[in-house]
This record gives sequence, structure tokens and C-alpha cells, in this order.
Amino acid sequence: MLQELIFGKLTLDAIPWDVPIVMGVGVVVALGALGVLGYITYARKWGYLWTDWITTIDHKKLGIMYMILAGVMLLRGFSDAVMMRAQQAIAAGSNMGYLPPEHYDQIFSAHGVIMIFFVAMPFMFGLMNMVIPLQIGARDVAYPYLNNFSFWMTFVGAMLINISLFVGKFAATGWLAYPPLSETYFSPGVGVDYYVWGLQIAGVGTLLAGVNFIATIMKMRCPGMTLMKMPIFVWSVLCAMILVALSFPILTVTLALLELDRMMGMHFFTQFAGGNMMMYINLIWAWGHPEVYILVLPAFGIFSEVAATFSHKKLFGYTTMVWAIAIITVLSFIVWVHHFFTMGSGGNVNSFFGIATMIIAIPTGVKVFNWLFTMYKGRINFATPMLWVTAFFTTFAIGGMTGVLMAIPPVDFQTHNSLFLIAHFHNVIIGGVLFGYFAGLIYWWPKAFGFTLDEKSGKWAFGFWVTGFYVAFMPLYVLGLNGAMRRLSHYDNLTWQPYFIVAAIGSALIFVGVCFQIWQIFISIKNRAALRDKTGDPWNGRTLEWTMSSPAPDYNFAFTPTVKDIDQFWLDKENAKEIGPIHPDKLEYNDIHMPKNTSVGFWIAMFSGLFGFAMVWHMWIPAAVGFIGMIGSVIVRTFDKDTDYYIKADVVKKTELAHFKEAIS
Amino acid sequence: MLHRSFKTASKLLLIASFLFLCGCENNFTGVLNPKGVVAFKERQLLFDCIALMLIVVIPVIIMSFAFAFRYRQSHPVKDYKPNWSHSVLLESIWWGVPCVIILILGILTWKMTHKLDPYRPIDGAGKPMKVQVVALPWKWLFIYPEQNIATVNTLVLPVNKQTEFFLTSDNVPMSAFFVPQIGSQIYTMAGMRTRLHLLPTSEGIYEGLNSQYNGDGFSEMHFKVKVVSQDEMKKWFAKAKRSSKSLSQATYRVVRQPTIADPAALYSGVAPGLFKQIIKSYHAPTHP
Repeated sequence: MLQELIFGKLTLDAIPWDVPIVMGVGVVVALGALGVLGYITYARKWGYLWTDWITTIDHKKLGIMYMILAGVMLLRGFSDAVMMRAQQAIAAGSNMGYLPPEHYDQIFSAHGVIMIFFVAMPFMFGLMNMVIPLQIGARDVAYPYLNNFSFWMTFVGAMLINISLFVGKFAATGWLAYPPLSETYFSPGVGVDYYVWGLQIAGVGTLLAGVNFIATIMKMRCPGMTLMKMPIFVWSVLCAMILVALSFPILTVTLALLELDRMMGMHFFTQFAGGNMMMYINLIWAWGHPEVYILVLPAFGIFSEVAATFSHKKLFGYTTMVWAIAIITVLSFIVWVHHFFTMGSGGNVNSFFGIATMIIAIPTGVKVFNWLFTMYKGRINFATPMLWVTAFFTTFAIGGMTGVLMAIPPVDFQTHNSLFLIAHFHNVIIGGVLFGYFAGLIYWWPKAFGFTLDEKSGKWAFGFWVTGFYVAFMPLYVLGLNGAMRRLSHYDNLTWQPYFIVAAIGSALIFVGVCFQIWQIFISIKNRAALRDKTGDPWNGRTLEWTMSSPAPDYNFAFTPTVKDIDQFWLDKENAKEIGPIHPDKLEYNDIHMPKNTSVGFWIAMFSGLFGFAMVWHMWIPAAVGFIGMIGSVIVRTFDKDTDYYIKADVVKKTELAHFKEAIS
Repeated sequence: MLHRSFKTASKLLLIASFLFLCGCENNFTGVLNPKGVVAFKERQLLFDCIALMLIVVIPVIIMSFAFAFRYRQSHPVKDYKPNWSHSVLLESIWWGVPCVIILILGILTWKMTHKLDPYRPIDGAGKPMKVQVVALPWKWLFIYPEQNIATVNTLVLPVNKQTEFFLTSDNVPMSAFFVPQIGSQIYTMAGMRTRLHLLPTSEGIYEGLNSQYNGDGFSEMHFKVKVVSQDEMKKWFAKAKRSSKSLSQATYRVVRQPTIADPAALYSGVAPGLFKQIIKSYHAPTHP
């Protein structure tokens, strides 16, 4: 009895001892973790890690932590992709490949979940954290402690999904866990429970981070920065975060209802007793479609910033850009049915949602032309961020076109659920979202770390990524039109095999690209002295984040800036050519009020992780401990009155002087 | 009218895609090689819409390379206008042109979505033959109610004659019935009935499949579609009638159990009202 209350359904059999691939990965991960932990202990870095990183509420550090999470998860998600490509390249005709369906099914489910929730989302939040307060002239986000908490919730969600690899199983349901497949009747194992609890915990983090950034952007802008003077990245993030705040509650409720079905035997989405799985499919896409725009809008913002900066020219059509973003934001909520035209909803419903979807192509097309005409009559510096932008135009034009094709219901009747669909959304999510985030990462890297990234290896990475992308995904369009469906672990049609082999070669090219990216970071860290960004403005930037030193000081701005123009810093630099820079020695500094670090966010998240894991395995005592721990940590925090401190004026002055000296050296 | 104006462009596209793929049409196993009225119209629509969108897509791609090349910093040209950021004329053009294209596409979509609605009988194709489809784990059951015969994993259809499908699923998560070369796909859902009309136009053997992932046997859940002449159809019905097996309630209870890659089977009789009964079983307060 007691054993059941403590361990629930969990036994040693939950560990897949008999699967050599998983066990091999487990050993490697365990050794890696031991190595890292051992090094931290050996170098006596635990205190540093705790005070400077784990408990930090500094948006810049949290941004870096989000990006590290995204990077590590990218490697996991990408390994899944390589395994799938390898399986499909060989599993034709009589050859069943090396993965049995029950493993293959978990791999494609994990690939989708990890890439969307734990690569794209943290990557986006990482860039936002890094940049948004700096672009709007703020000291930090509106709720720094909440920001730390949001990160740890995302982290814990990611860990829960990854634990499922070694303890139990992951969902074999696809990344959206459609019922009735995801109901206990068809999926009795713990896989779907890992999925639900992992996403619920990460979802809390995402929703709160969204609210945090809406508050930050609405309330923390520096004097003079009216809405229509915000840098365009801030606009894109504001709209994306409004989408987060409106759509993530739908996801939370939908997954909660699914879990009620699974845990309490309810019938919201079951096939029996009046349940309706189509309700789930409607709800999940009412979240899922806005989610796509949550990811891509910030990427659009990055393209705008990068195109303007590297063309040394004002962004073309700022006002139309803002309106285009706003229109996309609104329309993204009325197109969800295009994910299941084949449900048989009839001509009127299908045409409505098809045409609504196509209309989104108009503002999106407008944005593309605005970017092109930002380059037109500019002076384009083809550093790596700009290369990603240039590659994006073609990939996104193709991806957008195939997207509109699939918005036409009769065409979708042929392409739905086929590899054409897979090619389409990778075309926009890699060619649109990921290329944008890579551009943003290289662009803002110096502001985060104080040195620029090595250009040569970056260009190699770019070359392999882009070539690999086309080689990997163009064959999938052809396969889709030839009747090859998604999620096949095996196929009989031997005429498909050459295309799958080409696609596998493409994933190998992308792998080389990823290796170059890792090498790029390694070599840049090694040569950081030579690559040092002394001025804090390595790209001849236009907006406020380039006004301070790199990396940005703890307090961001010694003086709250005042803004009269969208490209205020560019304007300041033009003016400074006449009057020259002001020596920081001549200025009167004030103490700066700052929030103190706190470990409460970390503890709540850890207790949530315990709670989530316990709920997956029906371990009721640990679940109770986790739940009480969460509530208890919040209560403890309310008694903590010592939550702020001042950075003294002379410290600020010293920091600013040091930067000034370095900048003019 | 729209159809005709884009026909030339579509044909060019067709040729281009052939050259690109270095093969002939017969190697294709999907909509690119249509063998039914619906699939043919869907391919036509696909090409028309690609042609329409290329009006925007091609200039974008060309401009992206041309601007990048001409205005590169390493080779500066004189016309550098760092503050030029607005033009009513230009911005009107790129709001206007996509609006017009989407308007045309929208009208086309409205018309074709209604015309190719799977529930709608195909124009001028006569009275349809009826087939009831049940997605099972992981196989397909086809019931010919008018002939009182049934098959597993094999579907025989008469050429140039419309068939109306009634579809549902049993004991398996949501699936989708799809014969790419003949026409549209549609979901099969437990306790619900969807409908689909198809009209194959050329004799042959085609691949039918499940497009909606529904568990471990998903990849093997496909079937052969034989499109035959009216005479052969009659012969096949007669052959089916002679089959020693019959789809009684008891047999169905065995058939609905999960299996992967079942061989094709033929049943000479079907328990009365089986299809309706399968759907209704999900409406009962409790399920077996």
C-alpha cells in the first residue's frame, strides 16, 4: 500500500533495459551530466552558478539560459530527425528498417514536441529576453522574479519530456496527441501523461512570460517612445505575446480535459459515452494555429531589424509593417479549421476558412516587399545575419506559396497529412522561423557576450544549412504529391526510395551545418579577445540596445534614454558627428534601484517538476509533496521583504568610464 | 474563363515539373498522375493556383537576388538613400496586387470547394454505386450493400461510373480513406459517418491508403484499388457471391480485432444493417 502511494505505477521495468539505442544514449547523457557536475565541483563553481545564474532575475542572463536550453534541445530534436530520415531511407519494400513502429512513432512525436515547445519557443524567449528591455530603454522586464520562474518552468517541462526517454515511454501519438488515439483505451501507457504534464508545466511558464512581456512593452518604454516609435521587433513581440496570452489558455484547458479523461475516466474526447474527439481537434488548433504566428512574428521582427541595420537604411514602410503584423495577429485566430478540411465540414465552412487563410498571405506578402525595398538603394553589408535574411526570401516565398495551396480545400484533399504538408511547414518553420532566429542570434550575440561570432565558420554553417534544407525538403514535396503520407515507418512503393535517400542526404548536410555552428561558437569563445566588441555597436546599429557596452551592464542604462525617432541611436550618431561624443566623466550619476535575485522561482519549478512526474506515475505522496512545495514556496516568498538593492552612483560611473575608454581605444 | 487563361501557364508548369523530375507521368503514384475525375480537377486547380501565385513569387525571388547583388556594400553604387522609407505608390502596388490575386484565388476557391465537396455527387455521372467503408485496426473493410458482399483490404470499382462511399471507423482511432490517383481523402470517425464521391476514369490497379496516423499498424494500412470495366465488375460480383466466407456478426467480431498487414479477403454475405450497427454502437451509453 505504502509502496504504491510512493511509487505508484513506477517500477524498475519502466526503464527500457532491452533497447540498446536508448540505453546507449542514456549512458552518454549520464556520463556527460556527471562530467559537467564533476567539473563544476572541481572548479568550485557551484556558488557562482547559484548566485549568478540559477537565481538570477537579470533578463540578459535568463535570455542566455533560454538559448542554452533551446540549443541543447535542438540537438535532441535534430537527432530524432536524423533517425527518422535514416529509417525512411532504408525501410522500403521488404526492408523494415532498423526501428520498429512503436519506437519510430515515439521518435516523430518527440521530434515535433521538442522542436516546437523546447527549441523554437525557448529560442524565441531567449532572444526576446536578451533584447526587448534594451530596445525599449528599460532596466529589466516588468516582473523580473516572474521571468526567472517562467524560465525554470519551461526548463522543467523540457526535462519531463526528456526523462520519458529513459523512464517509461514517450507518447506515440504525434505531436498534438489527437484523441481517441491519445485516450487510455488506445494509449494505456504513461507516454501521453508525460506529454500532458510536460506541456502543462512549460505552458504555465510560457503564458506568464507572455503576460510579463506584454506588461513590459506596454508600461516600461522610455520617455518619448510612443507605440508607433517602437522598434519593429518590439511590435512583433508585442503581437506574438498577445497571441500567447489569448491562445495558451486554450491549450492548457484542452490538455487538462484530456488528462481528466485519462486519469478520472471522463469522456470529453473519448469515442464512447458522448465524447467527441473532433472537439479536441478544434480546440488544439485554436491554439495551434496562433502558435505558428507566435513563432514567426518575432522572426519577422528580426528580419526587419537585420535588413535595416545591414542595409544601412531605414526600414521601408514602418507603418504598413505594423499594420501587417496586427492584421496577421487578428486573422491567425480565424483560420484553424484549415488543419482538418478533410473532416467533411462542407463547402461553406471549408471555403470560409480557406479564404481567411489566403487573406493572411496579403499582409505577409506586403512585409516581404517592405524588406526587399529596405535593401533597395541601401548599402548591404553581407555579414552572416544578412545572409540568413537573403536566404529567407526564397525559402519563405516557396513555403508561403505551398501554404496558400494547402489553404484551398480541394488541393488540401490531396495534400493533407502527406509529406507535402511536412515539406510546407518545415519550409516556413526552418526557412522562416529558424533562419530568423539564427540571424537574430548572430546579430545580438555580441550584446549578450561581448564578442562577435566568427564569420568564416558562420558562413560555412549557413551554406550547409541552406543547401541541406533544400536537399532535405524539396523531395518531400514530390513525395507528397506521389501519395507518400507523413509518419510512415515503412513503405512498399519502391519508386519513392530515391527521394527519401536524397532527403536523408539533406539531413546529413544540415548535420554538417550544425557541426559548423558548434565549431563557430567554440572558435569564437577561443578567439574572444580578437573578436571583442569594444564599442558596443559592432554593426552600426539603429536602436537603443547598441548604445551601451557589450555585454550590457547589469543596470542596462546609466540614464533613462529619451526617444524621438524609431531609429533613435542612428539619429544620435548622425548628430554626434557634429558635436562629438559626451565624456561620461562630465555627467552626474545617480544610484540605480535594482531587484534582488531570488531562488523561489527555481524552487516552485522544481516542486512542479516533482508534482508532474508524480502525476505521470500516479505517485500520490510525492505528488502531494510537490504540490505543497509549490504553494509553500509562494507563501515563503510573500514574507520576503528584502527584494531590492541599489547600485551606487560611483559604481555606475566607473562602469561607464571603463566602457568609454575601451570604446575610444 | 479563368480556367482557360491559366491553362497555358499550367501546361508549361506541367512540362517544367516533368523536366525537373526527369520522369514520365506514369511513374507517379499520386495526384500528378490522375486516374479519376476528382483527382484530375484537383491537379488542374493545383497548377492554376501555382501559376497565379508565381506572379508574385517569381518577382520576389528575382528581386531578392538582384537587390542583394546590386546594393552590396563591397561594390557601392551612387544611389544610396539611407532615409528613403516610404512610397505611397509602391506600397499601394504591393497591397493591391496580392489583394487582386487573393480575390481571384478566393473566387476560385469558393467555386471549386463547392464543386469538389466530397459529399456532392459528381455532375452528370449518373446514379452512384454505393460502398460502405469501415476503418479497422489496421485494415479496411468495404461493404457493397447493394450486392450484399464485403471485402477486406481490396476495393474493386467500375470504370467511368460514380461510386458513393459512406465511411466510419471501428475499434481504431480516427483514420482517413484516400486513393490519391482517383480523388479526395476524408476522415473516418467512430460513431460518425462521412461521405465521399469518386469517379475513376481509367482501368488499372491503384494504391489506396490511410492518411491519418492511428497507431502501430498505420504504415501497413493500405489496400489495392482495382478499377475494372463494367463487364469485369459483374464477373467479380459473381465471384464474390461464390466465396465460402460470409461476414456474420461472429465473423465481424473477429475481423475487428487488431492485426497488421492482413491479406485481402472476400465475403459473400453481410450481416444485415452491419454498417449502421457499427456507427450506433458508439451512441450507446456504454460500449463493449
